[in-house]
Amino acid sequence: MSWTTARRSDLFSGLSARHPREAGSFSRRVFLERSATAALGLSAVGPLLAACGSGENGATPGATGAAADLQLARQDNPVKWPIYEDNPPIASGLEPEGGPLKIYNWNGYVWPRILKQFGKEYGVDVQLTTFSTSDEAIQKLATGAVDFDVFFPFPDRFGRLVVGKILQPLNHDYIPNLATSVWPSLQDPFYDQGSQYTVPYTIYTTGIGYRADKISTTPYDLSNPYEIYWDERNKGKTYLLDDSREAPIHMLLKNGITDINTEKPEEIDVAKSDLIALTDAVNVKVSTDDYTNIPEGKAWVHEAWSGSMISAPYYLPKGVGPEVLGYWFPEDGKGTIGNDMIAVLRSAKNPVLAHHFLNYLLDEKHGYDNFVNYVGYQPPFVSIDPDKLVTDEIVPENLKSAVVRESDFDTAYFLAELSPAGQTIWQNAWAEFKAGV
Amino acid sequence: MSEPPRVGRGRTGFWAGLALPGVGWLCVFFLVPFYVILGVAFGTVDPIFGTPQPAWNPLDWDTQAFDFVFNSLFSSGGAFQAVFLRTLAYVAIAVVLSLAIAYPVAYYVARFGGRWKGLLLAGLIAPFFISYLMRMLAWINLLQDDGWVNDVLLWAHVLDAPRSWLDGRASSVILGMVYGYVPYMILPLYAFLDRVDRSVLEAARDLGASRFHAFRLVTLPLSVPAILAGCVIIALPMFGDYYTPDLLSGSPHTSLVGNQIDLYIRGGQQVPVGAALVVCLMLMLAVLMAYYLYVTARAERRLGR
Repeated sequence: MSWTTARRSDLFSGLSARHPREAGSFSRRVFLERSATAALGLSAVGPLLAACGSGENGATPGATGAAADLQLARQDNPVKWPIYEDNPPIASGLEPEGGPLKIYNWNGYVWPRILKQFGKEYGVDVQLTTFSTSDEAIQKLATGAVDFDVFFPFPDRFGRLVVGKILQPLNHDYIPNLATSVWPSLQDPFYDQGSQYTVPYTIYTTGIGYRADKISTTPYDLSNPYEIYWDERNKGKTYLLDDSREAPIHMLLKNGITDINTEKPEEIDVAKSDLIALTDAVNVKVSTDDYTNIPEGKAWVHEAWSGSMISAPYYLPKGVGPEVLGYWFPEDGKGTIGNDMIAVLRSAKNPVLAHHFLNYLLDEKHGYDNFVNYVGYQPPFVSIDPDKLVTDEIVPENLKSAVVRESDFDTAYFLAELSPAGQTIWQNAWAEFKAGV
Repeated sequence: MSEPPRVGRGRTGFWAGLALPGVGWLCVFFLVPFYVILGVAFGTVDPIFGTPQPAWNPLDWDTQAFDFVFNSLFSSGGAFQAVFLRTLAYVAIAVVLSLAIAYPVAYYVARFGGRWKGLLLAGLIAPFFISYLMRMLAWINLLQDDGWVNDVLLWAHVLDAPRSWLDGRASSVILGMVYGYVPYMILPLYAFLDRVDRSVLEAARDLGASRFHAFRLVTLPLSVPAILAGCVIIALPMFGDYYTPDLLSGSPHTSLVGNQIDLYIRGGQQVPVGAALVVCLMLMLAVLMAYYLYVTARAERRLGR
């Protein structure tokens, strides 16, 4: 009876490692919001009202007219963002403020003990507020009505935050750990040349997670591994990530289209047709709970984030060993890759303290503790030896493909920002698939 | 029927004043939000952040979102058409099933509950003190491949092999909806059946009707307004439901209008499309609601004569 396992995950779902990009089902915030709106019998209207608070304020800082400035950074088209005169970095040599330090982060994406330690060391209060979808976060920040100090942005919306002047440029004098801890290539990433607005936080790949004990053909056995989604023996047990970018991207890659940030309608149509075909073939399902769906056996094949797979063993039923799990990522490194970042908001009341916090998380020890004890997503640190993660049994041998290496960033396709028009094409294709036509 | 007693002018003002809180409530929590939804649906979005920029002045209204929605709603094979039809079908089936469950239960408690009435009713309602979402999560456990539902059905030889209830089946989603909303159907039915005048039934029996005939010719027709009220009460939230299919299925084959609204409102640059869907759903519900009012008004007229 797997009652106990499911219950365990329910209990821990708000506490443990999970991928940030959760549009998903049971995060605490969504839970509360849904219970409340359900009680009102207005389930569909609640989020709308929340969403349009911004419009009423009309205080979208600097957004209109900035659309022209929005450049789309690509691996072969790195972008150095402007530093705006009315949004300068802080001066060097200032004392940190007295707090409270207000942090705005994905739900469950930082180890609470790290926050406590930082607060103790600096003698300040640390307040964490969480969000569960990237657009929800952006809509809230765009109102200009919030005063968070630290924010955890994501490359697929990053440019908007810079040209909309939501982030403030960083003063690297306060963040010496960037140069000492972080992989050289990510000290100067293509999406933010010179790390002017962000420092990297975690890195991940998107591959295919599976239950080695349930399926007879793994992605490694196939000449086109993405064909695994069509294996009818896994009908009803095949999942894609509930994400308007990630799921279509695997369809693009299956068809040999490697520009995963394409805005060509005909290419996105190819992905859409394949998604719809998948619904008919295996009744494919969508979820962002990859880290529990696979260990609990709900899914046998699941598009998955590498960090979720590293957390997955924790959710296995009692008596089942981690050897039943598998993660496929292209052996030549040509798959989807991404990283999340940390930034200081322009609205920060404690900008110096916020810089210190960024530096604190980039400390070798703090970043490592945050990764192995809680988050499950790896920081891009020189000090972390991928092979040692396996020999130290942080990551089981059969999941070593979930460990990200610096060289992966040379070969993999980076999930980057789309133009607003391009984003709409992706969303409509995704909505059509999700309508189950 | 006798005319109601006339009251003085000042008194009328006082009684009318009692309506103020209700009117105020409607304005603040219905009319204003509804106008916000209209403003968003007919508005534009910020070019960078995609946040909605509502158009408050009807002269500025932009119909782009509605054009997009209607285009898909009224073309055969359109995505929105598919979800609207599916939602209608699911809600219709779920309401009929709820009625089939709720009516006998309410009837039994009201007629045969005796001194246990209060306890029976409390017992029926007790599980629903727990949040809807929690109860759905419990169903996930029960419906798992190795869950109790399969255990029981295998034991009873209803099934030969475990059935994968959570593999994206319409039946599981409808089951969830029925389970989630059935008490809201039981309560109005009970409240009505408990008040049915026993002397009317006795008269029917005295005139030679069997128990069944008395039920069919007296109780059932009398309870039509209560049945309709129960149906409306549970159908309205069902139309907006999006987490039951999320939790019990997750397959696009079972997604409802609520899921599409959720998708467009919680992410991306097209909040107006989500708002336009809300308006379309409300229009459809308004038609159903008008039919309900028409039927109950007619029933009342008939009873009044």
